[in-house]
Amino acid sequence: MRKYYRNKWAIMLFALPALLLYTLIVIYPVLQSMYRSFFDWDGLGEGTFNGLDNYIRLFNDPLLMTSLKNGALFALVLVVFQLGLGTIMALVIADPRLRGRKVLKTGYFIPVVLSVTVVCQLWIAIYDPTNGLINKLFQVLGIPYQQNWLSSPTVSIIAIAFVNAWQYMGYQFSLLYAGVKSIPEQYMEAATIDGCTKWGAHRRITIPMMVETYKFCLIIAVTSGISAFVQMLIMTNGGPGTTNYTLTFMIYRYAFGEFEYGYACAVAVVLVAISLLVTAIINRVFRQEKVTH
Amino acid sequence: MKGKGFKALMLATVLLLSTSLAACGSAGNTGSTTKDGDTPAGQNDKIKLKIYAAYFDDDTKKPYDYAVEELKKEMPNVELDLEPSMQDDGQKLRTYAASGNLPDIFPTDYRTIKAFAQSKNIEMLDNAAPTAAFKNDLNPGNETNMIAPDGHIYSYPFAGIEFQILYYNKKLFEEAGVKAPIKTYDEWKDAIQKFKAKGILPLSIFSKEKWIGNAFYKGLLTREEPNGYSVLDKATELPEAFKLAAQQFNDLKDAGLFDANATNTNYDQASSLFYTGKAAMFLNGQWEIYSSDKNLGDDVDWMYWPAKDEATYEATKFNMNGMGQPGGFSVSPTSKNKETAIEVAAFLARKYAEYKYTQLGNPIVAVKIDKPVAVTPPKMMQRLIDETLPNIKSFMKMTEEIKINSAFEDNTQNLIVKGFTDKNFVDNMERVMKEVNK
Repeated sequence: MRKYYRNKWAIMLFALPALLLYTLIVIYPVLQSMYRSFFDWDGLGEGTFNGLDNYIRLFNDPLLMTSLKNGALFALVLVVFQLGLGTIMALVIADPRLRGRKVLKTGYFIPVVLSVTVVCQLWIAIYDPTNGLINKLFQVLGIPYQQNWLSSPTVSIIAIAFVNAWQYMGYQFSLLYAGVKSIPEQYMEAATIDGCTKWGAHRRITIPMMVETYKFCLIIAVTSGISAFVQMLIMTNGGPGTTNYTLTFMIYRYAFGEFEYGYACAVAVVLVAISLLVTAIINRVFRQEKVTH
Repeated sequence: MKGKGFKALMLATVLLLSTSLAACGSAGNTGSTTKDGDTPAGQNDKIKLKIYAAYFDDDTKKPYDYAVEELKKEMPNVELDLEPSMQDDGQKLRTYAASGNLPDIFPTDYRTIKAFAQSKNIEMLDNAAPTAAFKNDLNPGNETNMIAPDGHIYSYPFAGIEFQILYYNKKLFEEAGVKAPIKTYDEWKDAIQKFKAKGILPLSIFSKEKWIGNAFYKGLLTREEPNGYSVLDKATELPEAFKLAAQQFNDLKDAGLFDANATNTNYDQASSLFYTGKAAMFLNGQWEIYSSDKNLGDDVDWMYWPAKDEATYEATKFNMNGMGQPGGFSVSPTSKNKETAIEVAAFLARKYAEYKYTQLGNPIVAVKIDKPVAVTPPKMMQRLIDETLPNIKSFMKMTEEIKINSAFEDNTQNLIVKGFTDKNFVDNMERVMKEVNK
């Protein structure tokens, strides 16, 4: 087998189909979007080259700030909920003494396999200001707080982000759980012998040793937040007005609503640039020597 | 041994790749054969035309089926191959246009016409054979539905100029002691309080769809500015009539006209509130008459838009909250049977109008129909026919700027939400107008 690994031609032959496919469906469209972002283009004709006009307009567009702010909030909710709660759940379920671990593991993952539309419809009903579960619960508990969850310009983005966080928490949980299980038992045993409590050992051993897993989960959560779209589309259609817009929603509006494909491509380029930048920053922050067990 | 294994693996991979490529080639050949087969004229004298049209419920299926039956009698040599259109804001059609695969006949609205005309994806019908007769047969005022703002004709329309009216539940009005119709804003505000006191939602609106909030705003605007958004062309500031309409909108919201969840309410939910007697009023186009009549019978009627005072109400009640814009059936310039496709497009548009007129008793169609109405129209429609249609003073006129229209849709939806004021509305609109009309 090592002989094959040394054979560069063999490596190239096996990698080529995947590389070609990746180039065709990822690299080429990204480059095309970059190219088209310098055009006044309606998606049908050839378009007119307009230099940096689309970018100048974009950086003066108030929707950009709304979208960036919403993307950041969305990402924050995903990180706090999915990584925070996901970690706690992973550590609890990794404990072999816990009964019903299989049921819990399956239960956490169920929302992931549900259709986004179904989940959104479920939460639309829960968030209903008049008959929804949350406001009714406040009433039953005697809490004088009622919220218009999906119409409030300040609360709705968090409410929508929570739906995404809830649905895909199981996915992040499964990654974190796999990370916990990959740490050799001996470390925990040694810590216990040295008098460390279970949670102390997790804090000092398990979590620091899961840096690579956290890095991956963080990249997924943050880039998902920045590019969030489907939940807004289904639950509020980006509204009221444009209050729930994200960069992806901007692309959707300008390309498919206003037929400004050139401008939409400029937004797409900014989205890709921000995602790459965030990924690079996370990689840099988490840069460390590789841990080997 | 290892060397032999590697060679075998290489050979297998190459074989696999070449088989995949051969399969791709074969698929391409099949596609081309099918394409050739799509034009059988000359083989069996049938001209096959591909049509992309709405075909998903009674409102869209019945007129299509009716028109196709009529077409069989009139042009037996033409066969239509229907591809039901998607409810996707015309995205599939645009994809067809971008990839050079437009069907022979397709439905268009003004936005599509504008984009397709610029990119030469739509046949100009100015001098087409059926155009002169079609133009001649237009119902008065329907020229705007056929002639685009650039002066050219790109489609054969079938719908007339449709408009939005306020429906109300007579029984709930009586129960709450509200006099119908409401003529002024003061009466409207008073009615809101009476309905709220009885636990009745004053107005049900499906404002998850942005156009309906915009329609509400336009309804208020027509009392002061019958020309509507067209007066904004080249303007950078909102005229007083627009500011007043925004203020009235905001006041009505603050008085409690809308449901708290209005911006997340869809048509099914909003209409259900009205049909089940939970909402006193409902906003929709005149096409709603059939559904409301079916669900509420004699308990429902419609009213004109209230105005700032009774004199204004009387003077402006026939300024309709609706506007004509080009749209209908259009033809692809690359159609292999273009002349026939044009004839068929014009014929279908006429037959769609004929169906609406004769089978539904709906006189709001683009062309004159010389056949008798086969059904008794609902009372509300009859009232519209007798009282309104002969007296219409004006329809609104559109602005060509998509960005200004989008800004109105966004900001009228915002106006429904508490905390967003008419001042916010004016500021946002003027910012967009300055950007567009600079």
